[in-house]
Amino acid sequence: MSSSTGLPNRVIPVLALAAFVSVWLLNLGVVQPNRIVAGTGYGLFGATGWLGAGIVSSLLCVVVVLAAKPIRNRFWVLALLLTAALMSLPLLLEVFALRKLPADSAYARIGIGAGFWCLAFFLALMLLETLSQLKASRRLQLSVVLLVAAGWWLCAAREGLSSLSLIREYANRADQFSQALTAHLSLSLGAVSISAVLAFGLALAMVRRERLRRPLLGLVSFMQTIPSLALFGLLIAPLGALSAAFPALQALGIRGIGWAPALLALIAYSLLPMVRNTYVALMEVPEPVVDAGRGMGMSERQVFLQVKLPLALPVIMEGVRITTIQAIGLTAVAALIGAGGFGTFIFQGLGQAAMDLVLLGALPTVFLALAADALLSALKFQETSR
Amino acid sequence: MRLWLTPVIWIGSLCALAALLPTMTPLFSWVESGTDNLIYTRDSFYTLLQSHIWLVLASATMGTLVAVSAGIFVTRPAGRDFMPLVSQIASIGQTVPPVAVLALAVPAMGFGEKPTLFALVLYGLLPILRNTLAGLGGINPAVLDSAKGMGMSSVQVLFKVELPLAGRVILAGIRTSVTINIATAAIGSTIGARTLGDPVIAGLVNGNTAYVLQGAILIGLLALATDGVFEALERAWDKLR
Amino acid sequence: MIELKGVTRRFGEAVAVDNIDLTIETGEVCVLVGSSGCGKSTTLRMINRLLPRTSGEILVDGEDINKADPEALRLNMGYAIQSTGLFPHWTVARNIGVVPTLLKWPVQKRDERVTELLALLGLDPETDARKYPHQLSGGQAQRVGVARALAGDPNILLMDEPFGALDAITRENLQQEMLRIQRQLNKTTVFVTHDIDEALKLASRIAVMDQGRIIQHDTPEAILRRPASAFVENLIGKGDRGLKLLALRTVSDLMERHPEPRHSEPGSDSLNESDSLRIALSMMLWTNTEKLPVLDATGAEVGIINREQLMKVGA
Repeated sequence: MSSSTGLPNRVIPVLALAAFVSVWLLNLGVVQPNRIVAGTGYGLFGATGWLGAGIVSSLLCVVVVLAAKPIRNRFWVLALLLTAALMSLPLLLEVFALRKLPADSAYARIGIGAGFWCLAFFLALMLLETLSQLKASRRLQLSVVLLVAAGWWLCAAREGLSSLSLIREYANRADQFSQALTAHLSLSLGAVSISAVLAFGLALAMVRRERLRRPLLGLVSFMQTIPSLALFGLLIAPLGALSAAFPALQALGIRGIGWAPALLALIAYSLLPMVRNTYVALMEVPEPVVDAGRGMGMSERQVFLQVKLPLALPVIMEGVRITTIQAIGLTAVAALIGAGGFGTFIFQGLGQAAMDLVLLGALPTVFLALAADALLSALKFQETSR
Repeated sequence: MRLWLTPVIWIGSLCALAALLPTMTPLFSWVESGTDNLIYTRDSFYTLLQSHIWLVLASATMGTLVAVSAGIFVTRPAGRDFMPLVSQIASIGQTVPPVAVLALAVPAMGFGEKPTLFALVLYGLLPILRNTLAGLGGINPAVLDSAKGMGMSSVQVLFKVELPLAGRVILAGIRTSVTINIATAAIGSTIGARTLGDPVIAGLVNGNTAYVLQGAILIGLLALATDGVFEALERAWDKLR
Repeated sequence: MIELKGVTRRFGEAVAVDNIDLTIETGEVCVLVGSSGCGKSTTLRMINRLLPRTSGEILVDGEDINKADPEALRLNMGYAIQSTGLFPHWTVARNIGVVPTLLKWPVQKRDERVTELLALLGLDPETDARKYPHQLSGGQAQRVGVARALAGDPNILLMDEPFGALDAITRENLQQEMLRIQRQLNKTTVFVTHDIDEALKLASRIAVMDQGRIIQHDTPEAILRRPASAFVENLIGKGDRGLKLLALRTVSDLMERHPEPRHSEPGSDSLNESDSLRIALSMMLWTNTEKLPVLDATGAEVGIINREQLMKVGA
């Protein structure tokens, strides 16, 4: 990992400049007298005073200097600096709350302004660029992400941020939140697992019988083409009719709306990437390797389990990764048909025009998707390095 | 010409259905008993279809312009520094669920068509960007070397060699983007845009299955028609080469 | 005429080409030969400014190439590389016609030129013109590459190991083609190769390079007879030097010519005028004779060559 390359980095100064401009021009935070009224915004200086504005500005200047001058190990220093900055970023809001929140009002709250989000976004991009210059291993990348998440978690738990409207929304419905988390995870992961099993069977069938390939692939691609909302909607009628006809199903919770059509639709959507990846993975195992296995005296079963499957695993895992991310996103949409999950907060928030409720639903969804991506990518790497 | 038969059939059915749906009352009474409002009438299906198509088309055009320009920029010597970051953004960005992008557009821009369009452009440009990078990056360097060595200017190399060779991959990216955007635009009804998702949402809210079916069938047909059009476009491109 | 004066090329700390001086006369084929990493390709690519030089001067016909517009410079230099770099999305005809199109030739003139070149390189103007690069064999693709380099009728031809990726037989064929074309067109050519035999076969003068420097710049015969250093000696191979020397000249150089062509016996062992002396020696060993008749293209006997003459060549 050569970090003493002499060339000045051009990307980070550009990003730092963008961060500087946006954090000075846009609102850092908003003081809202209550949940519904829009409230007054405060820029960086107004919100955090000399100290806050000074720290942020000098941080950005230091970052630019470090990036531009060919100092030894500058990228390590940058990585440290940026990670620390990102971890403690919510403290800015705490300072803001301390200074600007009216002490007497019980309903008053702090909203996060666009300037804060932009600052966080550009800092994250700078960190991404620094990590890629360091050619950071997956483990390092994962640790950095975990550190930043931990930082935000710790900050959020502090007394000083309890007036953050996002925290307030969470506090008001903490158990609904955990319910939503469980529902979301079980629905998406459940759908992925079931479709994995199905896909495996289908892929094997396609490998054994070439003729099945086109119709099966055609069927699963067809299902993928139908937009999610449409598929959810289309399943309501038949499932509703089914559960009306068989009350036993109703007792199980299977109705026209709810988790049943959501699960079915999710499985249907997960099938294409899974089937296609598994099929391609199995087909792409190099013939000479299989030949060698057979030639050595392995039975078909042994060849499959010890040669084909391990070699096909990376591509299959890639399919699992794509499918899981897709499923997490679609589960959020399924909230529209009563499936639960974080989508509920999103759509409730949209209905009530309560933006922080929307955030309460959208942010965890994004986080889940990114976390699943990071975890599954790290896993995949381990598979191939064996 | 045979190429275009399938998509034309789909498009024809779509338009016909949009126009004729209001007359299919008896069909829907089979599905939904209990109300007299069997056909969604807040807007004509035709208006909704137009609005939906316009949103998808506009976002696809803008997204393509931005994504292809960005892709070209980072593959030029001037922009090469930005390539790793842009490439990472393109892949990480696609991990974020489209519905989240849609939802997050509201605090930023309010309700209505603007945030929907914004979210569609933002999310839609990611697959196109990814494919542009893959397409331009995947060209045999010897071809570019000989093109330059023969005396082509950089602009000539870009338009006569690089883009034609990368075009197929970029087209596939646009196809992916449009497919996703048709679905996302439908969800845009929840943030105030007028699309074919309106009857679905209205049906879900009021418990009216007929509404839901009408919206769902039209969205599904639109998706199939678009897929058919792209299939034909891709084959036409192959032939032109 | 191409002149390189004190040309150096650095990549960071490493010196790829170290202060070389080279003059390539008009109509000459200069072959840069050396092992990989010696700087020969780098030197070639500095001539058409695909690589900027760090210091020194490069003059083409007396003009500094840095002063000219790079595209104009390259349009006037044919460029053929090992992997051909043919545009996969264009037909053979369109590939060959690239430079004429860029030079804005009238369509008819361009099309005639394409047909002319296809014929020159031994390709079929009817069928091959419409094919796509992926439909061609390695040898055919390389022929198209050379045709493309010649299309604009450039004054200078730059070739970077064009035959390196081909099998031995195809390579041999194409080397013969190059000699034939060169006899016909007489273009100033800079040719890069790592194969000393190819260099000996094609060059008017060879520049042996090692670690960015030119060790010896001389005619093939001079390099064989008077290698400048142990490195050059090693390159040409001490063992079969004599045979390589024989390969440089043809039978018609050395034979005793008859005053008039005679009738030859069909089926008897004989040599052709254009065969090299090496082939002559080989034939004599095989047939265990001291002399052999030499035939011309029509089959008439035009002279005799004997073994004693061959033995004296090395002196």
